[in-house]
Amino acid sequence: MTRLWWTQIKAVIRLELKKTFFAKRGLWIYVVAALPVLLFIAYAVAMSHDQHQTAKIAQEGEKRLAYQDLVAIKSGMTKEEVTAILGKPPLIFHWNERRPIGPDSTVEIFHEDLHYSDGEGDLYLGLANGKVVSIHIHEGYNLGEDAVMFAVVQFFFLRLAIFFGCLGIFMNLFRGEVLDRSLHFYFLAPIRRDVLMAGKFLAGLLATCTIFVTSELLQSVAFLWHFSPQARDLYLYHNHGLEHAAVYVGVTILACVGYGAFFLVAGMLFRNPIIPAAAVLIWEGINPFLPALLKQFSVIYYLKSLCPVDIPVSPGTPGLFALLISNADPVSPPLAILGILVVALLALFVSSVQVRRMEINYTTE
Amino acid sequence: MSDRIIFEDVSKFYGEILGVNRVNLCIPPGITSLVGPNGSGKTTLMNLMTGLVQPSRGHIEVLGYPTDDPENLFKFVGYSTQFDAFPKGLTGFQFIYSYLCLSGMPLQDAERTAWQAIERVNMVDAASRKVAAYSKGMRQRIRLAQALAHNPKVLVLDEPLNGLDPLARSEMIALFRASATEGSYVIISSHILHEVDVISDQVILLSNGYVVAEGQIQSVRNEIQEHPTQILIRCDRPRELAAKLFESEYTIEASIHNDGRGLLLKTRDADRFYLAMNQLALNGLQIESIAPADDDVLSVYEYLIGNEEVVR
Repeated sequence: MTRLWWTQIKAVIRLELKKTFFAKRGLWIYVVAALPVLLFIAYAVAMSHDQHQTAKIAQEGEKRLAYQDLVAIKSGMTKEEVTAILGKPPLIFHWNERRPIGPDSTVEIFHEDLHYSDGEGDLYLGLANGKVVSIHIHEGYNLGEDAVMFAVVQFFFLRLAIFFGCLGIFMNLFRGEVLDRSLHFYFLAPIRRDVLMAGKFLAGLLATCTIFVTSELLQSVAFLWHFSPQARDLYLYHNHGLEHAAVYVGVTILACVGYGAFFLVAGMLFRNPIIPAAAVLIWEGINPFLPALLKQFSVIYYLKSLCPVDIPVSPGTPGLFALLISNADPVSPPLAILGILVVALLALFVSSVQVRRMEINYTTE
Repeated sequence: MSDRIIFEDVSKFYGEILGVNRVNLCIPPGITSLVGPNGSGKTTLMNLMTGLVQPSRGHIEVLGYPTDDPENLFKFVGYSTQFDAFPKGLTGFQFIYSYLCLSGMPLQDAERTAWQAIERVNMVDAASRKVAAYSKGMRQRIRLAQALAHNPKVLVLDEPLNGLDPLARSEMIALFRASATEGSYVIISSHILHEVDVISDQVILLSNGYVVAEGQIQSVRNEIQEHPTQILIRCDRPRELAAKLFESEYTIEASIHNDGRGLLLKTRDADRFYLAMNQLALNGLQIESIAPADDDVLSVYEYLIGNEEVVR
């Protein structure tokens, strides 16, 4: 019997995958999945441009500079002292300022901006009347800081892109068939309704995992693209980069499982997808405010606990944003995985009860 | 295991709207036609029979199986619905093949069986085209192929002749008749009463969600007491025959046929009338034929339901 069910599930998956991947009403899901990739590509292009500029300035400099040379410059040094250490600046801007010092008198100040580079970082010096008054060192691309940015994007990728992607795919598994008036095709076959539901769920899961894991991997590639091979190797093999990427893939799959099960049952219970989507979004949003027991009936609660990079909440971070990204009450990874699976199984159980009750009555739709 | 399709006090309500009410049926093998005007409950009865909707009250069994067990039910039930929608992007062949794969059939068997079903409805040439590009008649035929594909014992067909040309109609009717002869249960709903009349072994007349009559057409007709039986007699001296027949109290009305060689007569007691006719024939009156004129579905339908929406 189990063999027959598995054969039937495979038949459902074959039918559903074709429909899910090529459905016109699902095209926006590809856009949602592609947006963070495009964001990282745009970021990588901008960073590459900056790196190219930095390298060019370093080449055009009179001396080959090291980071120690850049930090050797102190406020109050004269231009001659600066050029003695760093050489003639490759880029220099200057202008005059007339600054009032009394009712009828002004003083003229001669400003110069000097730009040096060691090939990776930039040094911006502001001089007034030949003396250093401001120093700014831009340390160039920093994988540590960028990884935090990557984590933030990943978090909102989980929270919004996968959420809405699963909504679009799983809500339509049954609801879409009802709207197309073609659900009877499945209901007239000698297949248990819960086996049909399992097949549709797995098809939805395969589709969402393919779309969002691909997006996830492309994001990682785009994120690492502009770094030097040495920096990439260091990040991937010595700073847990590869491990983090694998964990994010796992978290993405678990997010698809959790949200998928939620929206599968919602698609059977509700005619209008906006109502359950809004309800689940609010429920997931207010998760930090919920009592400990209720928190456990949420997908994001477990996903937050599984994310490998802690997103630092700096004092200047807006309150709501800080609340969304912080995880005050995390659970251990095994418990988080178990939690998501239990939540998903509960939703699938409700779906299996609901699918057995479903009737074909298109005229009321 | 029962060998009948049984409805026991079945009612179905869609909210406050009545689908069917207090239906009791016991359908034997052969061709059974569901007849009734739009909204009378024909499709609801078929959907109940196949588990697409569940009864609000009562119990249904198809050859001993409950209708909420699709895994077993559809092993021997095929249903050609009126729903004119198909899974998107499928060709005619893929439509049948996918259906057979869903039932768990091995892929090679499914392919062979799908082609056999397609051949039975003469759709081989169009099988590789998308169903979306089919004409109404082709869609009807491919739905029939789906219902027939797994050689079901029970074939439920909702308006199966809609959209078919005359040749295809006669082919399909022959197909249904062959299935019934092999002992299958063929349940057909149709508006086209003369076709129902030709193919049905028994009829179920529905009106406003109620079964108003069921059984073989002749026995249903015999039970309609308020309408006298009409009999057409072909003979050489119809006036003389009419005069003799009016001598008996069971002849109500007689009219001479337009060609002057026949008599249409109404009687309250057909059995006694036929006895009298035997006597008259023995007395030398030459009678070519005697045939009942209103024991067909059309007449029964008109007497019980009225003549609205009847397609003759």
